[in-house]
Amino acid sequence: MSTKMLGLILAGGKGTRLGKLTQNQAKPAVPFGGRYRIIDFTLSNCANSGIKQIGIITQYQPLLLNKHIGNGASWGLDGLDESATILQPYTDNAGSKWFKGTAHAIYQNLDYIDSQNPEYILVLSGDHIYKMDYEAMLNEHIKNSASLTVAVIDVDKKEASRFGIMSTDVSGRIIEFEEKPEHPKSTHASMGIYIFTWKRLRAVLTTAFSTTDDMLDFGKNVIPYYLKSDERVFSYKFSGYWKDVGTIGSLWAANMEFLNRKNGLNLDDRSWRIYSKNPIAPLQYITENATIRNSMIVDGCYVDGEIDNSILSTNVSVQSGSKILKSVVMPGVKIGKNVLIKYAIIGENAQIGDGAVIEGNKDDIKVVGNAEKIGVLPDEN
Amino acid sequence: MKTNKMCAIFANKHEYNQLRPLTDKRSLSTLYYAGKYRIIDFPLSSIVNAGINNVYTLINQEKVRSYFDHIGGGKEWGLDTIGSYDYLDSYQSMLEQKARGENYFDNIITFLETANLPYTVFIGNKMIGNFDLRSMLHFHQENNNKITAAFKRVDLSNVAPDDQIFILDNNNTVLATQQAIDSQKLETYNLALNIFIVNTDWLISELKKAQRSGTSTDIAKRLGELAAKYRVSAYEYTGYLRNIYNIKSYYDANMDMLNKKKRDLLLYGNQKIITRIRNEVGTYFGVDSKAVNSMFATGSKIDGEVRNSIISRRVKIENKALVKDAIVMSNCQIETGSVVENAIIDKNSVIKKNVTVKGTKDHPVIVTKGSIVESNLINR
Repeated sequence: MSTKMLGLILAGGKGTRLGKLTQNQAKPAVPFGGRYRIIDFTLSNCANSGIKQIGIITQYQPLLLNKHIGNGASWGLDGLDESATILQPYTDNAGSKWFKGTAHAIYQNLDYIDSQNPEYILVLSGDHIYKMDYEAMLNEHIKNSASLTVAVIDVDKKEASRFGIMSTDVSGRIIEFEEKPEHPKSTHASMGIYIFTWKRLRAVLTTAFSTTDDMLDFGKNVIPYYLKSDERVFSYKFSGYWKDVGTIGSLWAANMEFLNRKNGLNLDDRSWRIYSKNPIAPLQYITENATIRNSMIVDGCYVDGEIDNSILSTNVSVQSGSKILKSVVMPGVKIGKNVLIKYAIIGENAQIGDGAVIEGNKDDIKVVGNAEKIGVLPDEN
Repeated sequence: MKTNKMCAIFANKHEYNQLRPLTDKRSLSTLYYAGKYRIIDFPLSSIVNAGINNVYTLINQEKVRSYFDHIGGGKEWGLDTIGSYDYLDSYQSMLEQKARGENYFDNIITFLETANLPYTVFIGNKMIGNFDLRSMLHFHQENNNKITAAFKRVDLSNVAPDDQIFILDNNNTVLATQQAIDSQKLETYNLALNIFIVNTDWLISELKKAQRSGTSTDIAKRLGELAAKYRVSAYEYTGYLRNIYNIKSYYDANMDMLNKKKRDLLLYGNQKIITRIRNEVGTYFGVDSKAVNSMFATGSKIDGEVRNSIISRRVKIENKALVKDAIVMSNCQIETGSVVENAIIDKNSVIKKNVTVKGTKDHPVIVTKGSIVESNLINR
């Protein structure tokens, strides 16, 4: 069996900058936009791009992520000649296979990749919110006879030093790459999305790791090596909505942008749906006391309070007298009476007792951790 | 470990002219309920929640498309796994076999013999409830019954003329059964829920007997008569129930879900109601929206005012529109300035700008599937 392009999602990151929200789960499993988890966007892009074999490389706190992905059925990846495979680090005679970097994680899963026998591999990270057709990128890769194609997006000049920055010639070929440069030479930022011609990458990785350990990371090691060796490295320009959600501030801001109907994500487009594992929950119920403005609410919610510029995820309940402003409430949260939540993210299954005040500000978003209990919630239905 | 296992005969037999035009293009079983469910989800969820994965489904042939559209391969209900078996047959083919003088229950008998499980549950298609078939099986075993019928004490509003009513003694023993239309007016009726648990071997022999003597293909009726003949004790269901047989009962059943107690009983019980999964974004409420005592499914955009209503998936309610005491099915658009009151708006319909659609609680206006309503529709 051979696969044209195998998708590999690097979902092992801890997401340290998300603090309490990733204390007990991996970043790609963090809820987003009311009824999604961050990785749903990447997985749905794969499914919509016709990529039928996907390996999801996990490492840090994978339990919830594994449960979420299951056999991939939620994304239609359980059909004939289709698969979603969770790849965990393991040990063998050569020792433990904990992943030391992005490229190392690919190398450690050589057996899996070989078993799929792909012509190309698509390397993705599971922590961005965007819609993208990877098949179009593959067509470019083939057209350019490239050995590596890197997806790039134009970013603000002042933001550029946070990214890997590419300089390209007129044909789009990458001539220079700098990882997080102090003085960026362009605004073409790497999106961390790579298509490699597998035969070549396989040779590079196996040679490198048979001698030294210096090919750990794509950005730091592999791309510079490819450029130095005069491999055909091309950029693929992407211009749609793309949002990194790696920090509390950016996760909050991306959720707020999600409320803007003209945010460019166009989630009403039924031809490029974002799929997720759907819990069984009845419709949301809005009582006679509730007020809701510019907000998004999903199945299983019960709303008796005031919701303003906020997102309530699945199975959230908000009792009377409570106000939720400019905030993101993750699934399963119970909020008592007369609570004030402003500029905050409330982690999954947290409980906020009567009268509690959780107030941050635009530049300092307050976070309540997953399953954290604040105050006392009376026992009632 | 098959001692307590059941297989199921799921009979989607009931259709009512009084439900038209809602059932013009779909069967009663696939009518929307409470925004995201279909009526079929309730019996089917009760079946799979009891651990049953051998199901013999009887449908009405002409409505087969809406059935497949919803159930597909049965994945959401866990009916696509190894050891599960979802057999589909139609009433029409049974009637044709009967007309040709063939053994019209043979397909069911073959199913029962193949499933080879000690108990069979028979369940119909028009009762909305959350039925615990496992506890009914306990009752069946404890009473050493051959057959156990489920009933609920209801008032007249929950009874259709063609329903079976049980006459019971003080111990709930079935003494007789009659059609509701033949019954004298009572304060409460022991309504047969069209749910029976039967010992499979005995059921097979009874079905063989029945087809030899050429009795009706109406299995529920036959089972009710057998329960009376053998004077077995009946199982009383005390949960939420709505019997769907006309527009009024359908409208009221939906409105029931705005009542917390009823909603909790039906939808938030120990047994979850399973339905087809659609992937949609959350429902968005605009800056000037107003929502009062209403339920919303996902994928909708609400900019107008919604009161005491049930709004299904992907519905757009524009600025200055008012939806009150209404059921709006999926993918409808209620344009600016329009008023929808005491109405049922079937899917894919558009209520144009400044148009009023207004009925009464007893006679809600029905806008049929895919309509574009450009002038006022008022029922008085």
